Amino acid sequence: MRELVSAILILIGTVFMSLSGLGILRMPDLYTRMSATTKVATLGVGSVLLAVAVYFGELGVATRALATVAFVLLTAPVAAHMIGRASYFVGVPLWEQTAIDELRGHYDLRTHELESVCFPELELRLPGMQVGRFRIPEQSAVAGKTLAEIELRQRYSVTLLAVCRGSHLLSNPDGDVRLFPGDELILIGPPERLEEVSEAFRRSGDEQTPAG
Amino acid sequence: MSLPDLILLVALPLLSLTMMLAFVRLVRGPSLPDRVIALDLIGTLGMGMIALYAIARNQPALLDVAIVLALLSFLGTIAFARYLERRV
Repeated sequence: MRELVSAILILIGTVFMSLSGLGILRMPDLYTRMSATTKVATLGVGSVLLAVAVYFGELGVATRALATVAFVLLTAPVAAHMIGRASYFVGVPLWEQTAIDELRGHYDLRTHELESVCFPELELRLPGMQVGRFRIPEQSAVAGKTLAEIELRQRYSVTLLAVCRGSHLLSNPDGDVRLFPGDELILIGPPERLEEVSEAFRRSGDEQTPAG
Repeated sequence: MSLPDLILLVALPLLSLTMMLAFVRLVRGPSLPDRVIALDLIGTLGMGMIALYAIARNQPALLDVAIVLALLSFLGTIAFARYLERRV
């Protein structure tokens, strides 16, 4: 009976570990390959160690085997997280068919801190002000115009802190910077004025823009 | 088929093949983190193979080797990740 259970566990473990090898070879980018090495291989090795615990059936061996399972389950995600984080900073490219990169533009590349953490602090120090991020839509009226033409400060009394384009961050952009669809703008101003800006960005190019 | 036979004839050859696949990724890269996770996977596979060999040879003491390998593989990956992040 014990032999049968451990044989089944060994087969499960071997199949999963073999799949992890297939995954690391065939997956399209580092981040998806990582899921093969961490999740699948951890499951496989855990299953094999469980088989060891069942097969020998001694308290000492089973304790060591289960402690190893616990250790692997704890360390594999930590190691994967550190490698994933480091590779994102190094600039390892994502698969070209990746739909969303939620970290894009949020990381401060100098301090390695998430930028969104800083916003609430900034808002706390400037009562009545809010920091907002806006993406320029495809058909937007402001797409293709320079910042000087849009007159954000004069028309809406908001201040532009930075423009995120791809993985670049243009901080303190001057009037000659031209906006393109997909750019992300980080603005600071009163909440109701930010609303107006977001509406103005969404308006398509055919409609009339309100004159200041 | 007895359990040692199952391990020696099916499981270990399959895992050796898997290790070769991981080795291909280790050689091909293309980036340094790719190689690091390939090494990590080779460490994990090695753990599994040692555990299987402990059953096949009826030597529970071999499990200690698997524990040390788990520890070293984790520390190695952490060290590589720190090095990568410092370098930028």
